[in-house]
Amino acid sequence: MTNMRMTEQDLQDRETKIASRGVDVFYGATHAIKDVDIDILNNTVTAFIGPSGCGKSTFLRCLNRMNDTIDSCRVTGQILLDGDDIYHSSVDPVTLRARVGMVFQKPNPFPKSIFDNIAYGPRIHGLVNNKAELDEVVEKSLRRAAIWNEVKDRLDQPGTGLSGGQQQRLCIARAIATAPEVLLMDEPCSALDPIATAQIEELIDELRQDFAVVIVTHSMQQAARVSQKTAFFHLGVIAEHGDTNQIFTNPVDKRTQDYITGRFG
Amino acid sequence: MGPHIVSSFDDDLIAVQARISEMGGIAEEMLSGALEAVKNRDAQMAQEVIARDKRLDAIEMEVENLATRVIALRQPMAGDLRLLISALKMASTLERVGDLSKNIARRAVYLANARPVRLSSSIVRMGNQTLGQLTEVLDAFTSRDTALAVSVWKRDVEVDEMYNSIFREVVTYMMEDPRTIGLGSQLLFVAKNLERIGDHSTHLAETIYYIVEGTPLGDDRPKGEPLGLEGY
Ligand SMILES: Nc1ncnc2c1ncn2[C@@H]1O[C@H](COP(=O)(O)OP(=O)(O)O)[C@@H](O)[C@H]1O
Ligand SMILES: [Mg+2]
Repeated sequence: MTNMRMTEQDLQDRETKIASRGVDVFYGATHAIKDVDIDILNNTVTAFIGPSGCGKSTFLRCLNRMNDTIDSCRVTGQILLDGDDIYHSSVDPVTLRARVGMVFQKPNPFPKSIFDNIAYGPRIHGLVNNKAELDEVVEKSLRRAAIWNEVKDRLDQPGTGLSGGQQQRLCIARAIATAPEVLLMDEPCSALDPIATAQIEELIDELRQDFAVVIVTHSMQQAARVSQKTAFFHLGVIAEHGDTNQIFTNPVDKRTQDYITGRFG
Repeated sequence: MGPHIVSSFDDDLIAVQARISEMGGIAEEMLSGALEAVKNRDAQMAQEVIARDKRLDAIEMEVENLATRVIALRQPMAGDLRLLISALKMASTLERVGDLSKNIARRAVYLANARPVRLSSSIVRMGNQTLGQLTEVLDAFTSRDTALAVSVWKRDVEVDEMYNSIFREVVTYMMEDPRTIGLGSQLLFVAKNLERIGDHSTHLAETIYYIVEGTPLGDDRPKGEPLGLEGY
């Protein structure tokens, strides 16, 4: 019983994609994240788990400076993407977010056609030179998000007309259309039914071939299924971080044990 | 560990453990009864042992059903998951111990009806040692005592060595007097069954260690020399 995941691969040689060093986050006087150090590895799915309000989303949003949009929010410490501080004044947050894409809890397609939902990012970031290239990026992204076959005959129809699970895969396609290096997902399946959830999970496993993936999830089983690394957040700190395998079969920290086995803390 | 937020989850885990303990108790009684039956040429006792095996099979099924249901309904994690998976293994191991004890009891029926022989005292000693280890490993489960489990695990080598020496002794008899072959082979089966029960106690010790520590016990256990047939 040492190997819970059959697909478990040796994580030793994965390089660090994002390094967090002594990160604190405040909302006004609320100290939401306290001195968090963590390495997010490339080609690896890292799951953030923990009780509601422990800071998972807050920390996830630090990784692509999504918190910049919240006035009361202040981030200190360092977040290094390939060794470079993403909070440095020379970094353009919009460009950063093309490299570190995000998928949200509630599918949020733009009120535009399916095609334009995907084409939007590559267009504004100038990633394509002509219509043929754009068509190619759109098709590739939709294929990569495992939704091409379902939408290829109605690319001109609104993205909002798709089912919840299709919308979420459309949003994933949109996020990967800008050729990101990291994909952040905040409870991407919590609004989806079990079949759509299984499709997204299958997709996540595929995506880690190309990206570092970080997923916040309320479902422990989902974390155990899709991730290779798990970080357990508790009251703004990472109480335990390690191989998913170990966290779910033999957690060290009492708080992790209580949480994942459903006991009173 | 505190209680679960869902209290019926606790009830289920307690029920699974109670079944394992019950199986352990029955397996222990079956082994001790079978050994008494061999020692005292008591066919009646042997029949009682044989009859008890059904109950063990029935509880094994109960453990399987209960554990499967808990896994399906609760998706247990960490220590709870280890306990349930281990309970399934322990139930099947204890069922095997019951089978082997039943087999010893069958031999006891044969021995009781055969011409009385001076029973090798080493087979009685081997029986006591095997029974003692089974008792200790079951205590280790009840008290979650990994030190006790490890001590049983390490001592299986003694049972293996006893088996090897009994084997040589009985084979020597049989070669000296071919009329003892029928009886001698029954005794060899008893010894072999005891040796297998010793292995199962070792297995139980490993499982208990895993439940408590979450890591395997490893495999640098002292082992007896493989039995050589040279010279026979
Ligand atoms: N926009 C915000 N303004 C003020 N406080 C916030 C904001 N977002 C989150 N918080 C607070 O920060 C803490 C962590 O919240 P959050 O990161 O959403 O947790 P989680 O995702 O783990 O449920 C909570 O105490 C929450 O109330
Ligand atoms: Mg959240």
